[in-house]
Amino acid sequence: MTPFPLKIVSPDGMEFEGMVEELIVRTTTGDIGILAGHTTCVAPLGMGRATVVVDGKKRYAACIGGMVSVVNGHVNLVPTTFEWAEEIDAERAEASYQRAQAVLDSKSASDTDIRLAEARLRRALVRRSVASTK
Amino acid sequence: MAGVSTKDIKNRIRSMESTKQITKAMEMVAASKLRHAQAQIQNSRPYFEILYSTITEIVESNSDFSSPYLTGSGGQKALYIVIAGDRGLAGGYNSNILKKVCAEAQDKEAAVLPIGKKAIDFFRSRKMPMLTENYPEAADVSIGDCFSIAKLLSKAYRSGEYDEIHVAYTKFESVLSQTPAVLQLLPLTPKGTGEQKGSVDILYEPDATSVFDAIVPEYLGGVLYGTLCESRASEHAARRTAMDSATKNAEDMIEDLSLKFNQARQAAITQEITEIVAGS
Repeated sequence: MTPFPLKIVSPDGMEFEGMVEELIVRTTTGDIGILAGHTTCVAPLGMGRATVVVDGKKRYAACIGGMVSVVNGHVNLVPTTFEWAEEIDAERAEASYQRAQAVLDSKSASDTDIRLAEARLRRALVRRSVASTK
Repeated sequence: MAGVSTKDIKNRIRSMESTKQITKAMEMVAASKLRHAQAQIQNSRPYFEILYSTITEIVESNSDFSSPYLTGSGGQKALYIVIAGDRGLAGGYNSNILKKVCAEAQDKEAAVLPIGKKAIDFFRSRKMPMLTENYPEAADVSIGDCFSIAKLLSKAYRSGEYDEIHVAYTKFESVLSQTPAVLQLLPLTPKGTGEQKGSVDILYEPDATSVFDAIVPEYLGGVLYGTLCESRASEHAARRTAMDSATKNAEDMIEDLSLKFNQARQAAITQEITEIVAGS
């Protein structure tokens, strides 16, 4: 397959820069796949797994928030949080999942607590599922 | 000559020595924090550059949709996010940025969102309306906080509470030079040269307006985090420079005082000898 240039930058720095064959990311409206020669495009990202195919090998990552843009064949993935599957701290994700679940189960939690816990739960679920697919 | 007793001079030298030790320690702490902050800027810079260039590309090539984020309502209600430090003893760092904001906000109906203890104290004493006082520690504000501020801002902006949103921060030019700056966040105005790149067709997924509405809060959060990083690095750099010159001043004074001390001591000895010789 024809490779195309991809840059992945999060606030923590440049996570990836190089030629890839395929990129699949979760946008707010569902997964999209990007191959070489994609038209100029912008989409906001949801929460989910991102798949990058480099030299025929698949790499997975947890990718949350931000946006993806394709300009003149150059793909920029600008997520708020981005962690390669092998970098994910599965124990921490599990602990965060348990904590969030505990808040949601308790009856005394306030609306903001619930909202925060839901967001945390979703992030933990994404991380957990990505970590288990490495 | 022995107008000042040697004991007084000795005391002053001793107190100067301890001041010097403190300023020296503060300088060293600031220097190490500065290194950390500089690394943070370096890491996050590509993120903002890409975020910024994407958003400006969209704004400039946009011809088929309008958004409240773009046009603004032309009102006078402005919000200033002011990033200052938590502590003093950083040279002109805090006062420069606060002065800049006061000058900018003078003839507007302005509210502020202070970040950092010094900014909160300042605006409280000035009785400026504050959006929130939840961020008293500029050093503790995380990227998550930046995004929640951004959400708060875009909500307030869309509901018409503010017509303009600016961020006041200190730009980190180099270790020796930092300049206060005010950046307009909203409304986003295309600052292109007028030439439309209208022919660029962009595919928006799912559609232009919702992409824009989703990306703008991200953009705000990103820019806030970037300016915060710059400000923190500037604060440490300013403190380092201030403490460096304080240490130098202390050294100068100690040298000066030591000279005086030696003169006084010599004078006392000479006088004693003269007295003994005269007496015998």
